[in-house]
Amino acid sequence: MIRYIVNRILQGIPLLFIISIILFVLMMNMGDPIATMGGRSITRSSDRVRLTRQLGLDQPVYVQYLYWLIGNDWAKIDLDGDGIKESNGTRRGILRGDFGTSLVNRGKPVTKVIGERLPNTLLLMVASEIIIILGSLLVGIYSALRQYSILDHTITALSFIGYSMPIFFIALLSMYLFAILFKRWGLPYLPTVGMFDPQVGKTTAQVLWHMVLPVFSISIISFAAYSRYIRSTMLEVMSQDYIRTAKSKGLPRREVVYVHALKNASLPIVTVVGLDLPLLLGGAVVTERIFAWPGMGRLFLDHVSRLDMPVVMGILLLIAVAVILFQIVTDIVYAWLDPRIRYD
Amino acid sequence: MIMESTSPNQLVALNMEGLDTPPLTLSQLAWRRFRRHRMAMFGAIVLALLFLYSFGGSLVLSESYANHTDTSLRIMSPSAEHLFGTDSVGRDILARTIYGGQISLLIGLTAVVIETFMGILIGALAGYYGGWIDSLLMRITEAMLNIPEIFLLIVMAKFFGGKIPEIEFIGRTFSGSVIVIVVIIGITSWMYLARIVRAQFLSLKENEFVLAAHATGTSNVQIIFLHILPNSMAPIVVSATLGVANAILAEAYISFLGLGVQPPTATWGNMLDGATNYLESAPWLWFFPGLLILLTVLSINFLGDGLRDALDPRSRAI
Amino acid sequence: MKQKLFFVLVVTALVLTACGGGVATQAPVETEAPVATEAPATEAPATEPPAAEAKVATFIWTQEFDSLSPLYQGMWFSEITQQFWLCWAWQFNEKNEAFPYLLTELPSVENGGISEDGTQITMHLRDDIKWSDNEPLTSEDFKFTWEMFTDTKNTVSSAYPYDNITSIDTPDEQTVVINFEAPFSPWLANLWQGILPSHILRPVYDAEGTLDNAEWNLAPTVGCGPYVFDEWESGSFARFTTNPNYWGEPPKIDEIFVRFVPDDASQTAALVAGDADLGAFIPYSDIPQLKEAGMTLTTEPSGFNEGWFFRIDDKSHPAMHDLNVRKALAMAIDREAVNRDLLLGLTKVPASYWDSLPFYNDPPSENYPYDPEAANALLDEAGWVDSNSDGTRDKDGVELVLRYGTTTREIRQDLQAVAQQQLAEVGIGVEISNYDADLFFAGYGEGPAANGELDIMEWSDAPGFPDPDVYYWLCSEIATDENPAGSNWFFCDEELDALIQQQSTQMDANARQETISQINQMFHDNVYWVGMWQDPDVWAVGPRLTGVKFSGVTPFFNITEWDIAE
Repeated sequence: MIRYIVNRILQGIPLLFIISIILFVLMMNMGDPIATMGGRSITRSSDRVRLTRQLGLDQPVYVQYLYWLIGNDWAKIDLDGDGIKESNGTRRGILRGDFGTSLVNRGKPVTKVIGERLPNTLLLMVASEIIIILGSLLVGIYSALRQYSILDHTITALSFIGYSMPIFFIALLSMYLFAILFKRWGLPYLPTVGMFDPQVGKTTAQVLWHMVLPVFSISIISFAAYSRYIRSTMLEVMSQDYIRTAKSKGLPRREVVYVHALKNASLPIVTVVGLDLPLLLGGAVVTERIFAWPGMGRLFLDHVSRLDMPVVMGILLLIAVAVILFQIVTDIVYAWLDPRIRYD
Repeated sequence: MIMESTSPNQLVALNMEGLDTPPLTLSQLAWRRFRRHRMAMFGAIVLALLFLYSFGGSLVLSESYANHTDTSLRIMSPSAEHLFGTDSVGRDILARTIYGGQISLLIGLTAVVIETFMGILIGALAGYYGGWIDSLLMRITEAMLNIPEIFLLIVMAKFFGGKIPEIEFIGRTFSGSVIVIVVIIGITSWMYLARIVRAQFLSLKENEFVLAAHATGTSNVQIIFLHILPNSMAPIVVSATLGVANAILAEAYISFLGLGVQPPTATWGNMLDGATNYLESAPWLWFFPGLLILLTVLSINFLGDGLRDALDPRSRAI
Repeated sequence: MKQKLFFVLVVTALVLTACGGGVATQAPVETEAPVATEAPATEAPATEPPAAEAKVATFIWTQEFDSLSPLYQGMWFSEITQQFWLCWAWQFNEKNEAFPYLLTELPSVENGGISEDGTQITMHLRDDIKWSDNEPLTSEDFKFTWEMFTDTKNTVSSAYPYDNITSIDTPDEQTVVINFEAPFSPWLANLWQGILPSHILRPVYDAEGTLDNAEWNLAPTVGCGPYVFDEWESGSFARFTTNPNYWGEPPKIDEIFVRFVPDDASQTAALVAGDADLGAFIPYSDIPQLKEAGMTLTTEPSGFNEGWFFRIDDKSHPAMHDLNVRKALAMAIDREAVNRDLLLGLTKVPASYWDSLPFYNDPPSENYPYDPEAANALLDEAGWVDSNSDGTRDKDGVELVLRYGTTTREIRQDLQAVAQQQLAEVGIGVEISNYDADLFFAGYGEGPAANGELDIMEWSDAPGFPDPDVYYWLCSEIATDENPAGSNWFFCDEELDALIQQQSTQMDANARQETISQINQMFHDNVYWVGMWQDPDVWAVGPRLTGVKFSGVTPFFNITEWDIAE
């Protein structure tokens, strides 16, 4: 098993290289970071020339990738535009732990840009994920056991309706309903945007209160998918021979369901959860945007729209690393849950 | 397992039908189960009506009418002349939901064809053969999965944006952004399916019936497609139907982020996005496209759900 | 077996709950810490939130600052925020007239501040101005600012206009003498917008050789405005509190809390719900709803006009060279209706590129009227007729189909749809396309506009407001393989080029007005640019705020007079 884990980690390294090269090339062909630096007007040509040179964007793609990877402190660069490479580069490259600095927030290290947002995103996403998993386990198992009961149909219908609307629409509608209309009707209402009310300050209660709507919007979407998935796997397992055997042996129904069936049904569920967890780092792009939640999804959106390559690459690679680690964990859990699966 | 006549399902079927009638084939059985799945039937009927609405509607209202602007008629509430009202530049919303529906449905279907094909192929090969093939394919899958889908969609949409020219198809001119959306949704969504298929293969290939097939010298291709794959159909069907729904929703998300199908080509997604500033002042702007998306996704999901129950050879519901 | 059951649950859910719970309970505590330490700044005990007495005004910005430093910011929202905490040498009032702020008076030829040949400007600073850390603000800070803007070690967003200055002399602490090589007439609208504190930043520059990584850029705790920067939490908010050492009239509001809300529908919801007192860049569609909610809507001209830029060169459609075709384009669009309907009648068709500068738009140009008949006649006359009856005019086998591109902004897409139809009515085909702003405005080789892939390009732009300076159409700015950075994506007209160069060196306002009028006339006669609508800044002001005035250049010029009515 340890050999397997080490192997997987070693396999992850070339994977990261491939991802980074593909993304880098994509990013280089998506637009021009200088284009939006002039604010409301078009960037002046003298500034365009100077910035392209100073930020190293005039170099061929492979040179830029190399500098991004291993830094340029060993090379000379031309800052003043006289065509002579006179200054020492200062970047150390991602392999030496330097993720570079943001092009938009010039001078701000990428690690800091991302680090400031990560806790907010985790707060929002982990809360949502807990609600989603617990809720959908309950509902999914219930629906599977009482297949075609009235409640099963009702739950199915409701969760499908939630699942069938674009999240931005649910988010905006719920904001409109719970924040604006409730206030107008004199009911207790929820806040619209942000993490806290500046008049009160950033207290735990405020943050929790401001989390209600975003968490609701995120949960409502994934809840249906998860609970449907659990229901469908449970149904499949429940019709297996060994469950029937267990039942006919006279084992208590409780034990049959929660011990034998759920354990086997959990295999595909673990796959899905294992895949989803690291992606939580990315946050919820649309929800964060609408509720002005300062998370990673919004960070990505803001910076990709201005082609802030170092930050975007930083976010994507951070997630990629998390995914690789979680995949290994998922595989281990797999082998543990299903002794028939061997990795040796 | 399907090949074996002693399948418990068929035994049950035999018992149910009595001995006078010949045993039902699996597809008959599936159809029977499906028919009794009320929500699935509802889904199938609604979906058929939606297709009729989107494609039949174009016989009644022309596309140029759907794109006809009249700013003096902007944001008019539903009336006899404009049953669904008009939008922010005075276009008829009824006509736009018809032509938008064509695009939305086509995006959903074609994206899922790409998705399912890639997902099954990669998942089956990886799960069945294992070894280096598994490693290679799963590394590729992981490379794709390592980036959240919405991020990939954004990056791809920006990468392809404005690079694909207009094309002509079934008598309509599509802006290049439609193709971009189909392709990017298709190639960014197959990975989950591949993982699920692989997981199924991983556990099924150790089952007795596969081992038995091996022993009798059945070819690998036959084992994959005739023995294991049919037994993995349930999750594939569930995943593919959710996929169609997902693709339609993904188009709406991308539209909300300003990277979707560009007007004046309508889709339900970009119509809904264009309505976000009129939640209160002009509800008909969002109500109709929103309702159509809801109905479509809902009925596709019901349909998939019914298919799951009906196709599952081990399901006891008849 | 039973034990394993619990493992399953643990694996699927409980492990998550455990670590999730940890994060959920930790994170707020962690992030709460700064508040507790910041609280004393607003004169409240640390245990109590500063709510009770402090007057906090909440503003919504739809874009987060890129940087706060004038060197590195390239964003309107960063720039206007400088009026809170940083100081400009002069500001502009609600009539967009300059008034001295750090200076005793504005330099002019009459008071000797501007030399006869226009190459030297002398400024006299007030002697009571100081930084928020009580250090005096002197001529040294001005000189340092110029040095930093033009230093190639700094990756500043724009070196303009400081790259026009050849040297700066500081004979004493209150005198700044600026030398130019040639007269630089747009100085008033461009110079000294944000002064850098040399006593803070020079040591950083000396130590690091660049200001790129200076902490001050993102956390400028020392400033010279009525407020002082307090905190900027990424993605969430920025907070400005009163400057205890402010040298002018102290402000009435205790704290300005700027919240970043990227989605404009959410911004409107927050304003309607009363969660914010001020919003900017309000979509026109939301104005009725905001008015109903008791907000005051103000439009403030800031020089910007939405318009069509035409490309007339060998990459453009041959018809673009034809003046009659361009005239027909202007006359085939019902621009009055666009303004009346799409922009709710809150804007007018701009008479010219200088529409919001009445002094330079004199005599005012006359717009081409909406007249499809005349447009048809002009096209017929130019030889563009529908010879193959496909609904689109053609000439010598070339169909009259123009490529019309813009960004993905909704109102622009609406106009595209309207224009496509109205042009089709006179037999002009239009292929419309939309791009993300960073792609649309990308330079030669990447951007569709720069590359000549479009005949009609649409965006909103301004002359060097409140100065009439323009530079786009200079022949030297044509983007080519040799000059890829060029920002002239349109055409080269030698006569126009000479006039544009001339106006930028004319220090005498009347002579300059004469030149601009000539340029204006050329624009009109040749139909080089077609205005669609005025694009003023749209502000929504909540009912709590009083004393609010805006300027189109320095919106918060009277921020100290703003107050909160309870």
